[in-house]
Amino acid sequence: MGPLAPYEIISENTNFLLAFFIGIAFGWVLESSGFSSSRKLAGIFYGYDTVVLKVFFTGAITAMLGLLFMSLFGWVDLDLVYVNPTYLTSAIIGGVVMGAGFIMGGFCPGTSFCGAAIGKIDAMVFVVGLFIGVYGFTFTYGWWEKLYYAKYLGEPKVSEALGMKDGLFGLLLIIAALGMFVVAEWAEKKFPREEY
Amino acid sequence: MKTLKLLALIIIPLGIILAAVPADRVRHFQLTADELLQEAGAGVQFISPDVVADMLVQKDPSLRLIDVRTPEEFDDYSMPGAINVPLSNLLADEYTDILHQDAYVNVFYSNGSVYANQAWMITRQLGYENNFVLEGGLNYWFGNILSPEEPSVTSPNEEFAQYDFRKSAAAALGGGGVVSTETDVPAVKAVKPPVTAKAKKKPTGGC
Repeated sequence: MGPLAPYEIISENTNFLLAFFIGIAFGWVLESSGFSSSRKLAGIFYGYDTVVLKVFFTGAITAMLGLLFMSLFGWVDLDLVYVNPTYLTSAIIGGVVMGAGFIMGGFCPGTSFCGAAIGKIDAMVFVVGLFIGVYGFTFTYGWWEKLYYAKYLGEPKVSEALGMKDGLFGLLLIIAALGMFVVAEWAEKKFPREEY
Repeated sequence: MKTLKLLALIIIPLGIILAAVPADRVRHFQLTADELLQEAGAGVQFISPDVVADMLVQKDPSLRLIDVRTPEEFDDYSMPGAINVPLSNLLADEYTDILHQDAYVNVFYSNGSVYANQAWMITRQLGYENNFVLEGGLNYWFGNILSPEEPSVTSPNEEFAQYDFRKSAAAALGGGGVVSTETDVPAVKAVKPPVTAKAKKKPTGGC
């Protein structure tokens, strides 16, 4: 039955329309969770605010549970669900660059647009920087191409790499996430910061 | 802390359920008997011999003829450029790449259309696409494409057009009832389809 677009149950255009509405909902949730404040995102690195960690891990786990259950009920063929291909080198370098940008700017790409939409000037500056980065990368793509495609690992899943069932890995991830949430709440008490 | 406990109370049992169910319960593509019957009934699997003849004459690179008869029959006669995938060996690993792909139009043929139809049904049930059946099989191909019968004078113009097309196609394909000499060129396993049929979408970004 699903996924809807690869099975052509909905057209590519309907798919984009759905993505548009989901995007709006996503932005609304980001904003109402307070992610449009750069302090929120920076907080995760200093320990005084771990909402980002909690929101994104809860989101990931909800999606994971949903997909696994839908696949169990025969509603979704997981083989057809898009998995980002892994290019190890660029994943690591990209992770470091993005992480550094997170700490320095206090935004990730999504939240920066959120912040810009409600008129935060620092977010607008971040968006400008984001475009400079995008264009810079695009125009110098030739220099990076080799690095960009280095260490291609296909489309591995962690569960496959560890040789365990998807469901078992899901359970372990849930336990790990809950453990992280406990640590996060402990950190918030340990490194409080009131003045914002 | 209270929210956290509530969250744990919901997601841990769900996780345990997923860890406990056997993985093979996760269902993969399969047509129900109903859906298959509907497709077979509508005849969506058939490709008309005229279309195939046209593609052969045009040397359409996307056409791939697959002979599902036995290797002996294949050696006796095969259509131009056809490859041999005997029905009895249809599910062998070496043929998966040929049958499960989205680069070629695979056309199964046998003497009639029974074996070709069986091959189509099996591959369709496996979720493979782009496989078709030559309507009428080789018998029709010989009788009507390679040696077409001239329509009677009172026939509609379409029939004459079809006759003319078939006659020129037959000439191009070495027809006229004579078994072509170029047919024993089995341009076989060298053809490797570059793409598998897994659906791809554009990559999505981070948060």
